Amino acid sequence: MPLGGIIFLAVFIAIFGALMLFLGSRGGTRVYDPVKFEPYECGVPAQDKKDTKISVKFYLTAILFIIFDIEIIFMYPWATTFKDFVKSGNGLFVLISMFVFIAIFIFGLFWEVKSKALEWD
Amino acid sequence: MTPDAILFWILAVVTVVSAITVVLITNPIYSALALAMAMIGISALFVTLNAYFIAGVQLIVYAGAVMVLFVMVLMLFDLRHELQAFTRGKISGAVKIACVGMLAGLVVGAIYMSSSSLIHASAAETMSSVDATKQLGKLLFTQYLFGFEALGVLLLVVAVGCVALARSKGGTHEHH
Amino acid sequence: MGHDAFQITINCLKLVVIFLMMVQAVPILVWLERRGSGFIQNRLGPNRVGPLGLMQLLADAAKFLMKEEFFPETGVKLLYYAAPAAALIPGTLAFCAIPLSTPVHIEAFEWLGQSWGPYTFLFQGFDINVGIVYILGISSLAAYVILMAGWGSGSKYSLMGALRASAQIISYELALGLSIVGVILMYGTFNLTEMINQQQGPLNFQFWGHTISSTVSWLPNWGIFYQPLGAIIFFAATFAESNRLPFDLAEGEAELVAGFHTEYGGFKMLLFFIGEYGHMMVASGLMVAFFFGGWSIPGVSFDQVSSWASGATSSSSLASIFTSLIFFVSFFVKLAVFMWIFIQVRWTLPRFRYDQLMDLGWKTMLPWALANTILSALFIFVAHS
Repeated sequence: MPLGGIIFLAVFIAIFGALMLFLGSRGGTRVYDPVKFEPYECGVPAQDKKDTKISVKFYLTAILFIIFDIEIIFMYPWATTFKDFVKSGNGLFVLISMFVFIAIFIFGLFWEVKSKALEWD
Repeated sequence: MTPDAILFWILAVVTVVSAITVVLITNPIYSALALAMAMIGISALFVTLNAYFIAGVQLIVYAGAVMVLFVMVLMLFDLRHELQAFTRGKISGAVKIACVGMLAGLVVGAIYMSSSSLIHASAAETMSSVDATKQLGKLLFTQYLFGFEALGVLLLVVAVGCVALARSKGGTHEHH
Repeated sequence: MGHDAFQITINCLKLVVIFLMMVQAVPILVWLERRGSGFIQNRLGPNRVGPLGLMQLLADAAKFLMKEEFFPETGVKLLYYAAPAAALIPGTLAFCAIPLSTPVHIEAFEWLGQSWGPYTFLFQGFDINVGIVYILGISSLAAYVILMAGWGSGSKYSLMGALRASAQIISYELALGLSIVGVILMYGTFNLTEMINQQQGPLNFQFWGHTISSTVSWLPNWGIFYQPLGAIIFFAATFAESNRLPFDLAEGEAELVAGFHTEYGGFKMLLFFIGEYGHMMVASGLMVAFFFGGWSIPGVSFDQVSSWASGATSSSSLASIFTSLIFFVSFFVKLAVFMWIFIQVRWTLPRFRYDQLMDLGWKTMLPWALANTILSALFIFVAHS
């Protein structure tokens, strides 16, 4: 696996991006006005409420994503070897065992939908 | 210095520096991003060991899912006030020194015990990667089948637990 | 990367050329988008600057160069500046793993008094054995760019936009990963070059030991005929991955100003758009590689083209280069078709609301992708036992 190529390309792109940013910053005018540096809030002065609550749904989405992603990762080695298993005659066993796994997956998904854990995100 | 050795040293330095950054920087967002960089470095180190599938899975799951969760959750909270928290005092200082000593002893002992098995590690390089993934798949369904199914149940338990935790604690949940 | 200096240089140059190709495709795509959207909306689009308005993005780039550089004072400097530079990395690294054409074989030749041995150059950035797993892993790193941009801007609209965009991206990564399982089941490998090699020739099924060949000889053995549902789910999920309409709520102007790139102007904004078009190219390239035969031309086999090329040119190196170029043109045409579909869908469908978007990802696409996996597994089991 060409790890050297990947690292070379990543470093090259980072340098290229930095160069483009530098070029962009050199070309413009500079008129100092403190209003320009305030965060954009449709024209009114920014109201920085200290207690802006952000929903806990983001955390739930990320956690459930990790869980289902790991289950999908487990399907990848099965998918590569399934044809070999079928051709060697053990297809039914592997199929049933994977279907049990998928059934647990479906049960988890069904429970998560039913318990309204991800409503109105 | 062969190209493989140079590659290893670059990756090792990047990973270790990112890991040290995680511990030393006080801003939690930088810490989490440095941990993500360390995960990417570990994935690259897996590639140098010819474990390509595990490297890809490390990227997808650790660097792409778990660390995204960390960074997202850290952005949910406004942690500028906690940056100044740092325990002082004699007892906590002694506990910190004791923990560092135990960790150092563990690391030195592990290196000493496993250095004898480094000679046999070269046998892993003879496997090509596609065969390794297929072998992993075959093993998963023959020898480790029970563990595989138990893992599905374990993931289900984790999902149920997280949803239950997030609802009962209240936290920043808006009730409607 | 290569054994001697010539090979290493050519490989590095190839990577740089692929990256620059992606960056240079953006002006053409933006022109296509603005003219195309104009015609879809029954107006003309930009047609003043240059012939047919083709110089429009050159003028835009010059304008971006002269914009004022500002930095919101509540922002975080390092993340604010690192995010646009890092926006190009995931798309390019993923695009380099997609095979663009057949490998080029160069015979041994004499140059500078030294004989350089026979080489084989792959017509792609690098060849990765676990191709799909690598591409999925690199695409999932795109969430960091968005989060860095949102946090680094220091305004709560940017942060909300970034969190919603990254939640949308990770939800659709599930459907993406699961729709690919059907493709892997069929071809039995992660390697993209292997998959394209298995899609050569006319359509033929293996059923209970018999090979059923299609009577229509020009119908190619493409993946779309085996996995139609998987292709639809994959294509829809990639729309969400690259934040394109109808899933572009993170950039929706009326909702969150401009989402996570509110506080960016000038060249930094341009870099984000190059990253978005880069993701679009990766998505189109993957669609072509999985479901539409990659670089293959329907009805014409590789041997026919290479024998025609070696009959037409003098040396075998030139014949090999010529064959690869022909197949690259075929790949490029298919890629262009898919990118046009991306643009067409953008200007045709209305935008989804955020809760509709998340419901679609979790409650519709994920179960359908699971159904696709189960059906594919059953079909392979019945057909090959």
